[in-house]
Amino acid sequence: MVNTLKTMNKSLLAIGAVVVLSILPIFFHSDSYVMNVLMLCLIWGVVAASWDLILGYASVFSFGHLSFFAIGGYTSGLLGVYLGVPPWIGMLIGGIAAAFIGILVGIPCLRLKGMYLAIVTFSIQFVLPTIIVMTGPGMIKSFNSGGTFGLQRIPPPVLFGYTFTKSELVPWYYLTLVLFLVFVYAIYRIIRSPVGLAFIALRDAEPLAKNLGIDEYRYKLLVFGISSFIAGVMGAYYAHYFAMISPATLGLEVFLIVLLMVLFGGLGVFPGAAIGAFVVTLINEALRPLLEWRLVILGAIVIFVMIFMPKGVAGIPELLGQVYRRFLGTKELRKN
Amino acid sequence: MNVETLINLLLAGITLGAVYLLMAMGLTLVYGVTKVFNYAQGSFFSWGGYLAWYLSVGYLNWNYWIVIPITVLALFLFGMLFEKAIVLPLRRFPGWDFTVIIVTLGCALVLDNLILVTFGPLSKSTPHLAEGTFTFGEFAIAKHDVIMFVVAIAMLGLLGLFLSKTRIGMALRAVSQDNMGARIVGLPVNTLYSLSFGIAAILSAVAAILLAPRTLLYPLVGWTTILKAFVVIVLGGLGNIKGTVIASFALSIVEIFATYLIGGIWGLPIFLILMVAILVFKPKGLFGAW
Repeated sequence: MVNTLKTMNKSLLAIGAVVVLSILPIFFHSDSYVMNVLMLCLIWGVVAASWDLILGYASVFSFGHLSFFAIGGYTSGLLGVYLGVPPWIGMLIGGIAAAFIGILVGIPCLRLKGMYLAIVTFSIQFVLPTIIVMTGPGMIKSFNSGGTFGLQRIPPPVLFGYTFTKSELVPWYYLTLVLFLVFVYAIYRIIRSPVGLAFIALRDAEPLAKNLGIDEYRYKLLVFGISSFIAGVMGAYYAHYFAMISPATLGLEVFLIVLLMVLFGGLGVFPGAAIGAFVVTLINEALRPLLEWRLVILGAIVIFVMIFMPKGVAGIPELLGQVYRRFLGTKELRKN
Repeated sequence: MNVETLINLLLAGITLGAVYLLMAMGLTLVYGVTKVFNYAQGSFFSWGGYLAWYLSVGYLNWNYWIVIPITVLALFLFGMLFEKAIVLPLRRFPGWDFTVIIVTLGCALVLDNLILVTFGPLSKSTPHLAEGTFTFGEFAIAKHDVIMFVVAIAMLGLLGLFLSKTRIGMALRAVSQDNMGARIVGLPVNTLYSLSFGIAAILSAVAAILLAPRTLLYPLVGWTTILKAFVVIVLGGLGNIKGTVIASFALSIVEIFATYLIGGIWGLPIFLILMVAILVFKPKGLFGAW
């Protein structure tokens, strides 16, 4: 009984969230800045949720998730710019390329212990910008990555004869929303599938799970592939939306912002990362007027969240409870 | 490529390797004693370099031989304080090994961007420790490079002596071998944690003072250096001194040759591609130590 109520509440919340997200353009359709920020929330929400799949559920310290985002973006972008491949097919190929490289990286990395895995995946993300810059205008003439300034003029997608343009953001918004819902639902299904249950078992009771015959390595490789695929498709979509992608996506700044989204939502708490994306994107935008100080403050927020909110937003009631007990609770006890 | 170029490149590689070794040793020492992998050590490096620059040629124009000890001492205190204020409180959390990675990363973001805010994005250079070159017939080596090598090796020798001969050094090793045992015999484990961070900060500051004239200082300079130290450690094995020494010299020589043959920007990529390639075949690093 209680359980059905709980699931009903959850589905009601989910439906409510979808309704709110779909009517938002009614209020903001004329403000292109707000529309842009909302779409960023949706895009990063998917990326953060796919990262949480590997970081929170599979408990693999993979710190190179944004490399797959960039690989997807560059693959689809290069195909679109130089070979005229339609964006939809480009996005699919971008996702597949990201998944392929993800598995390629996963094969050696998943044998490493946690700390080393973090270092190696992190280093891979830091080497990519150099490779991208080096395959820029100076080195390769006809198929170059655009170097430091990024790959420009990536074509927009076309749907039933309609070409998406930057002058009309509402169609873009609904397209992004559809992608967001599809991927978030897919991630939800993965978590609820036997694969997801195997991870939760591995995370919460490793010896038992292994005794039951769960092949840790294979499952982790699978999730490496799946989460890289999702990140790759979103990277490709991002590239088509902004009509460009640059190596800056792979910098420490974006890395910590997206990581912060995952942390804000709480590791391995399902819609958490997607919610975290909204919170963090809005904070990030609110900090923009502070110029260079923005990153200093963001770093401080990372530290603060890790120390005081280890369970993310889901832990806030508990945190408030602790504060309450510490500062107010004792007085009430005395009164009684 | 003739013999002189070959020897010059080898020398350049070896001097560079000695400096990477300083950084890698700092990471290894901290990891051994505290089981923390300090992602913020690159920022110690940057701050060491920028502080030396600020006190000497940047603003205050102090004598460089006074600036060096002040910088080293300041970084030592900063490292100790960093551990006490940020890392130590995390230890009571469940799953703190993950927490500490993210928190040190966050600190790196804060510290690096504080550099950007305070000193601006333009690159700076600290003075060479000695001007001019030594020439031996056909080939020449900059005096600064010789000093780099000698000082780095002397620092490591001192560290070795400190760890093996002094009581504090032995206490550090005791904590790294058996934390619980060290607590039982009454060693001040928390102080030793801070001390190891302080020593790593000293090594970073010295590395920065040695390396900055060669690579220049820019807000993200610490990352380039620390990533190379990461690779050294992954290949050499955390806590494996011999492996770390061999890995750092081997990698720096490879880097110098790659830079000479295909261009400077490839230094770091070559490092990382080598690392991934080796890990495919030897998932436990070159020496299989862990």
